[in-house]
Amino acid sequence: MLSGAQPARFTPTRKRPSIWLLLPVLLLVGLSLLPLLYVGTKAWQAGWAEALHLLWRPYVFGLMRNTLLLMVGVTVTCALIGLSLAWLLERSNLPGRRLWGVILCLPFAVPAFVSSFTWVSLSASFEGLGGAILVMSLSKYPLIFLPVAATLRNLDPALEESARTLGQNRWGVFYTITLPLLWPSLLAGSLLIALHMLVEFGALSIIGLQTFTTAIYQQFELEFSNANAAMLSAVLLVMCLSLLWLELKVRGKGRHIRIGQGAARRAEQVRLGKWSVPGQLYCLALAVVGSGIPLGMLVYWLVKGSSAAFPMAEIGEALFSSLSLALGGAALCLVLAVPVGLLVVRYKGSLAIWAERLPYLLHALPGLVIALALVYFALHYVPALYQTSALLLIAYALLFLPLAQAPIRTALNKAAPQLEEAARTLGATSFSAFFRVTLPIIFPALGAAFALVFLDAMKELTATLLLSPTGLNTLATQVWSHTSNIEFAAAAPYAALLILVSGLPVYLLTTKMYLSR
Amino acid sequence: MMLRNTRLATSLLRGLTLSILGLALTSPAHAADPVSLTLYNGQHKEVGDNLAKAFEAKTGIHVNVRKGSSNQLASQIMEEGDRSPADVFYAEESPPLNNLGEQGFLAKADDSTLQVLPKEYVAANGTWIGVTARTRVVAFNPKKISEDQLPKSVLEFAEPQWQGKIGFVPTSGAFQEQAVAIIKLHGREAAEEWLTGLRAFGKTYTNNMVALKAVENGEVAAVLVNNYYWFALQREKGQLDSKLYYFTDGDAGGLVTVSSAGVLKASKHPKEAQQLLAYMASEEGQRVITNTTAEYPMRKGMVSERGLKPFEELQPPKVTPADLGNAEEALDLERDVGLL
Repeated sequence: MLSGAQPARFTPTRKRPSIWLLLPVLLLVGLSLLPLLYVGTKAWQAGWAEALHLLWRPYVFGLMRNTLLLMVGVTVTCALIGLSLAWLLERSNLPGRRLWGVILCLPFAVPAFVSSFTWVSLSASFEGLGGAILVMSLSKYPLIFLPVAATLRNLDPALEESARTLGQNRWGVFYTITLPLLWPSLLAGSLLIALHMLVEFGALSIIGLQTFTTAIYQQFELEFSNANAAMLSAVLLVMCLSLLWLELKVRGKGRHIRIGQGAARRAEQVRLGKWSVPGQLYCLALAVVGSGIPLGMLVYWLVKGSSAAFPMAEIGEALFSSLSLALGGAALCLVLAVPVGLLVVRYKGSLAIWAERLPYLLHALPGLVIALALVYFALHYVPALYQTSALLLIAYALLFLPLAQAPIRTALNKAAPQLEEAARTLGATSFSAFFRVTLPIIFPALGAAFALVFLDAMKELTATLLLSPTGLNTLATQVWSHTSNIEFAAAAPYAALLILVSGLPVYLLTTKMYLSR
Repeated sequence: MMLRNTRLATSLLRGLTLSILGLALTSPAHAADPVSLTLYNGQHKEVGDNLAKAFEAKTGIHVNVRKGSSNQLASQIMEEGDRSPADVFYAEESPPLNNLGEQGFLAKADDSTLQVLPKEYVAANGTWIGVTARTRVVAFNPKKISEDQLPKSVLEFAEPQWQGKIGFVPTSGAFQEQAVAIIKLHGREAAEEWLTGLRAFGKTYTNNMVALKAVENGEVAAVLVNNYYWFALQREKGQLDSKLYYFTDGDAGGLVTVSSAGVLKASKHPKEAQQLLAYMASEEGQRVITNTTAEYPMRKGMVSERGLKPFEELQPPKVTPADLGNAEEALDLERDVGLL
């Protein structure tokens, strides 16, 4: 209705972004640099010689070994599972493949630290590197399976068919045609998983594998915010940022150009024949170990614990804290994400470029190091924020902004600036033009972004452990404190609530996004 | 339609802003009304919580409890300095308080509190009190090893025949105290050798309860822990397979250590903080604590009601909390041998 007001020749009334756009973006850029600043300050305080001394020792080499083995092990395992599963469910005639797709994404519903506690409660033999690779792979493979399956579904089968007519057999086609086409989504998923392995804390701590992240927390427990923790953080930051750099490099490449739209049609399905039984068994096995065991063990501990009666008051309190922190975090995220999105979409210049890259940078920062940096800077420079919920909300905003960014940006692209300009020619101030024109257009996207952040923030553990105000427990920290004393039955009700209020909705949202046909 | 959306959007935005503000302001520091104390609790969670509840029931003073590890909270108090929100610090061990006391972060405890406790278990400068005592022991699983196979001295666990059979918790403050005791009794080299051997042949655990449960489940033959963990697990499970082994003849394996507490100089409510400290040393407070954790009450004339081996029958080495100092040497040594 308003689009008729679009002028024939559009000249922007304002070339420079207003201060209200710049402020939040600058704030975010500043906050996301805090971890680097923290590491730098601490290294400077300790002196470079001491810093090097703290890093160059066998203990740190051991951490490096564990971290790298875990990262490679889990990423490769996930890639194998994800790829094979995607092919099986998208390209074969396996009976019940649609149902399997839904079931095999269930690990999305279970936070990694919950599934690791269920495995460890089953047997202590799942502790250590082997157990960690197993448990983490089973909990993360959907991150590769879903995007690869989606790519496979949307591939134009013409290429593969041409290859076949030229005499390639099925395997040849897969290697020479299909795999290269899947490469971008496979690589993106793998890098994401590798990054998750670098920053994962709760699950690995429960499994008892020392990586950089768990060692940093241990140093925090030994000496609060000390040079040791900062130096280990420096290594972790370098590793995370290298992965980020790798991802940015990969993102540009691997584009496959095609002329013409091609016909929208499905690829021919491979008839499995006698292979359909192993196929079914494979899916069944994955379902049993991937979600059957974690959920089964959780139910077992719930039933076992219910004999001792649940501490309802404490559970209610933790649920309330989780809900209100996640609500606040999601709200703050939106308030910051909209200006960043506007700046990216509507303006050019170096700040806009920074804003564009910001979510990627934030995504690569380990939550534990963000939290350490916030503790340090709040204590020394902004004591009013120290040990308050506000500081925790800032951490949430930094951690989860990347989630809010994508939907908001897409929506802002659709909200043409000309509409706002039209409103301004009709006498509206820039603020009211934004509120009355642009905001209603991006409103559904705001809702989606809010939900994504809210659901993920509910299960945040690492930053919450370090930053929560005195006496505040969330569902996640309760699961954590009970499991670290091996009180599995006591941890179970909190874990079950986490799955109900956060895991299941995330699972439904994600699978709906990818599996909808 | 547009108008309704706009209104909805504006009111939503307003709601969000308010909720952020509201959350930002609900920090406990703002609970200004009647006096409430903040306890930094490095002792077990339940102990601090039960103590806080009992104290509030008696005096009406609310206590906010911040749980952390003793070492972490001590370093945190140093970093916080004058700004520390804590009024009282309660640690699982004595070295963190010794350290804070020596560096001038603690106020002197009231004389009436110091007087009810044995002299060797309070700070020489009166800045902290020992609250309860416990002894280092070995918990072992008779299915994996018989009692007569256990060594006379804890130093022997560093030998190759213990490969995979002995568990320990390198991050635990009590383990660090034990390492300092070995330094005091046998010298730094012997301690380094002991830690190196443990690192090579022993299994490390993340905390004492995890270690004890590993013995109970037969994953490891024996672990170095404090006596009260075994009683806590016994209370939870009723019957235990594992047993406790006490070292004799003043061996470092039988070291007696104390949990301890002190009032911060930075406390905004020194009177009430001293009141809490006095309560911890009182008969009622000591009972609340030792009923929660099976440690020995420190107050003169009180004995445990939890069926512990009587305190007088223990044969600990002659290493006092004052000898243990701030236990920094142990942390350094552990880092040197690559345990941390």
